Amino acid sequence: MAHVVGPEVVKYACTCGLLKSISSLYFCRYCCQLRCGFCVCHEVDSHFCGKCCENLPSSEARLKKNRCGNCYICPSCQQELSTRIGSKGPSNPEDPKSTPKKMYYLSCLYCRWSSRDVGIPDQSAATGGWPDRENVNANRLQEIIEMYKAMVLAEKQQKEKDKKKQRGKYLSYTDRTGVTAAALRKRIGLPVDIQHSLLKAKPKEPEPAIAKEDVEDLPEELLTKPVNLTEVTTIEQRLLQIDLQPTTVEKLFPVHKQLSIKRSLRCRSCEHNVSKPEYNPNSVKFKIQLFAYYHVPEIRIVTVEPLRAGRPSELIIKFTNPTQHQTTITILSLVLSGDENEVKEETGDQPSLPQEKQPPSLSSQPSSLLSLSSRQPSITIKPRPVSQEVNADVAIPSSKVILPPRDDAAEYDDSGDTHNIQDDPKLVVWRKSNKAFVKLLVTPKQGLALNTEIVAGFTMQHIYTNTIATTVENREPDKHDHNIRVFLTLGNLVGFD
Amino acid sequence: MPIYEALSDKLTVVLDVGSAYTKFGFSGEYAPRCIIRSEVRCKKTNTIRRIIDYENQKDLYDLLVDFVHVLYFKYALFSPKDKPIVVVESLLCPTLFRETLAKVLFEHYEISMLLMLPSHLVGLSTLGAETALVLDVGYFEAVAIPVCHGLPVIHAWQALPLGSQIIHNNLRALLNSDNTGINNLPESVIEDIKVRCCFVTKQKRAAQLSVAKPEITFAPEVKYPIGGSEIITVSGKVREKVYEILYDEDNDHLCLSTMLLDAITKVDIHLRNKLAENILLIGGTVMVPGFKARLKEELHKQLKHDRYKKLKISSFKFHTPPCKENYTAWLGGAIYGATELLSMKALTREKYFKENRLPDWPNMRDNFRTNN
Amino acid sequence: MELREINYNKNEYVETASGNKVCRQTVLCGSQNIILQGKVIVQAEAIIRGDLANVRTGRYCIISKEAVIRPPYKKFSKGVAFFPLTMGDHVFVGERSVVSAAVVGSYVYIGKNCVIGRRCILKDCCLIEDNTVLAPETVVPPFTRYGGSPGTNIGDLPECQADLMVDFTRGYYQHFQPTKII
Repeated sequence: MAHVVGPEVVKYACTCGLLKSISSLYFCRYCCQLRCGFCVCHEVDSHFCGKCCENLPSSEARLKKNRCGNCYICPSCQQELSTRIGSKGPSNPEDPKSTPKKMYYLSCLYCRWSSRDVGIPDQSAATGGWPDRENVNANRLQEIIEMYKAMVLAEKQQKEKDKKKQRGKYLSYTDRTGVTAAALRKRIGLPVDIQHSLLKAKPKEPEPAIAKEDVEDLPEELLTKPVNLTEVTTIEQRLLQIDLQPTTVEKLFPVHKQLSIKRSLRCRSCEHNVSKPEYNPNSVKFKIQLFAYYHVPEIRIVTVEPLRAGRPSELIIKFTNPTQHQTTITILSLVLSGDENEVKEETGDQPSLPQEKQPPSLSSQPSSLLSLSSRQPSITIKPRPVSQEVNADVAIPSSKVILPPRDDAAEYDDSGDTHNIQDDPKLVVWRKSNKAFVKLLVTPKQGLALNTEIVAGFTMQHIYTNTIATTVENREPDKHDHNIRVFLTLGNLVGFD
Repeated sequence: MPIYEALSDKLTVVLDVGSAYTKFGFSGEYAPRCIIRSEVRCKKTNTIRRIIDYENQKDLYDLLVDFVHVLYFKYALFSPKDKPIVVVESLLCPTLFRETLAKVLFEHYEISMLLMLPSHLVGLSTLGAETALVLDVGYFEAVAIPVCHGLPVIHAWQALPLGSQIIHNNLRALLNSDNTGINNLPESVIEDIKVRCCFVTKQKRAAQLSVAKPEITFAPEVKYPIGGSEIITVSGKVREKVYEILYDEDNDHLCLSTMLLDAITKVDIHLRNKLAENILLIGGTVMVPGFKARLKEELHKQLKHDRYKKLKISSFKFHTPPCKENYTAWLGGAIYGATELLSMKALTREKYFKENRLPDWPNMRDNFRTNN
Repeated sequence: MELREINYNKNEYVETASGNKVCRQTVLCGSQNIILQGKVIVQAEAIIRGDLANVRTGRYCIISKEAVIRPPYKKFSKGVAFFPLTMGDHVFVGERSVVSAAVVGSYVYIGKNCVIGRRCILKDCCLIEDNTVLAPETVVPPFTRYGGSPGTNIGDLPECQADLMVDFTRGYYQHFQPTKII
């Protein structure tokens, strides 16, 4: 049943060696390679709240600790809280005719927890003003952090001083460190360094904590009072409020909802984006969408004859061409080992792309400029060998399959197909617009146990028409062969020959 | 101080990957942003897998890639590329684990700098003190390491497999006698029963637990509902007994209290009293009610034995860190991470790829003197 | 896997001019308030409560067997009021699911036996797994996968989910053919 649900029976080997379904693969047009979520670089594009669907600039998101200012989740069951209108007391108690004033409280519609349960007063504004809790140890911790900062800084300065001493008289007046400035100041008679003397005045060190002999005893009531489980928090509830970790439910407070992100993906070998979403959190469109689903022929299993070890079974698969260009598919035998050769071979196919490993030029991709300033080139990870075992042989057909381009208008056209493609009737069973049904013979290997899952594999070579790499002189779109290793899970072995 | 300004502006991730729970947050903050279970959803089988259940290095690498991805893109919400990170680790962390973690961070996530900090040492920094006996009771094991004047005395380390795992197993075994179907319960339910029902009882009561006719009345029993239809009875005896496994001496006469005393025995005679009067307990397991009080009782009991009489310790004093114990080590990492130590001591990406190794304390190459 | 043919008895279904295929054994209350935009399949024993408030679907929606589409209500101090339910294009509602959402976006997949609580908002491109119970007033953001009871975010969807759903619902419609009488 498509890729929406159901098991993934057709898997493509990504360039990095992982097997993925076509929907989770990307196709970098610049490298002409498949990429997947594992081998691309993920970047955060924008922050938004999943409930109110409002965008937050990254600085604001950081300020708010990656949480939405207005939306809360239930501290008891972690579902979203709704704002409810509570009591409507008159705004002026002396004048009963005055317009009633609305008061709001938070309530969970799933577990019925409400902000009134823990004694939070109702608020007059719907959007918030809900009290936030401060860490009780904040002051002490700030002191300690300052102390350690000063300590390490002093150590660092000491080290630098030691270094200076070693250098001795060979002071260079041209370097731009503070050394020269200080030396210069000395020469012109100014005090050495005003700041320095301030720093030397030791920061007030907080008292180290003092250990105590008396420890908190086991609460006596635990031994006598029966436990009401509904009043004791679970570990999830405690960890939702990390600095308090309340043990009883009356100390639960509403928690700000964690923000979500939209992310863009970047090819690690050429630094081009393969996916970049639109800014609007509600939008499902993309500015850059180099998904394999749009560029690589899709394969689906239509029918498989019952599989018996050693006996050829008929397998019908459907090829769909998603691109606007005609393509030709050749089925080659699978090369499991020596995948590095294949990579070389593939890159060798594209001599017309000499600049592929350079970072994108300014004109070609302005959208990637934002994060380009501090970016370092990525490290390319060596592809790993494909871990999938293949236990069936595919008879490799000698002829090729031509797939016409995708035509969206044809979807609405119910009239018969008018194609004039000479097909090998042994190979192509049926075709319609950009789809072709192809018959293959698979033979599960001898000696397999009953009910073994049968996996067959082949290499699909398709002609990829690259439309972006065309330079001014070369107006013809680039066409080159692209090989993909495909693995088909055909089902279980039902018998023997 | 231009470098310092630039660094403090950046958010530095502080990560403490525990066996059961991972603490994750930013340097200079007072509490972690999240404490989540150290587990990932396996895409292939759609089941939850714990990180510690890894099969081999390759498997661990994949698990950590997924896990770090969740941490960054669900909680940190920025890209780890070219950013520094502080990792708090136990001194007894397996080499395979720390090296794989470094590999994931450097190779897959391309972080710029990695600072690994020993948990026992940095946990102490929350107190502003320099000398203490630190006992970390985690999931797998309890590890005691004395820290003297800012240096962990590694040769005095003590470790026993006394953590929440053994408590969970014990609880499961104890519950089995009163109920059916306990063995099928997931560990998270067992953990919940432990957290919500069980506690560490007093020494006097503990002695009665194994007696045939106890003179005490046990704590009231708890009816714990499972999945809305079944009910488990957690008897008062079970509630009190489950933690006894930490204090009962094993065949080698070792338990939590002897660990601390053995660690004290192994350090210099002048420091012993100071360590006994500066005990810091960290790790999630120590948060159970009554843990500290009982440990103190047990320590005094052990002192009467011949093997510890020579210690001449009169009192034990415990520290109360300015935070919850389960993230004390993380908080220490956050304090260190806020200092310039990061720019001074961190392992940079360039160096990592040049040397292709991770500095480690058992390695002689890394054993020149450092004073933190 | 390629979708198999789904056959139905021609006598049991009504096909409208806009291509809607509606089973005769359904309960369509207040049918004047129900708008099916075209190429919508409503299967046997499904219930659409148009009598409560307007129900409006987009094109290529599939309402499976025994599913219930029920406009949400909200309690006020002076009683309850029902709100219209709108559904985008290319939506699949699985068998025996109850949908009381305020808005169901486009390219949404709702599995079997789900309960979508009242006044939920399902944004475009989201997926609700089988047996999920969504708490009332939950907002499901785009490209997320919800599951469990109460429903929580348990994963992401591929970026080409919209096209997958288009392909899936179109394929479903094309394969939903009357049994050929031989």
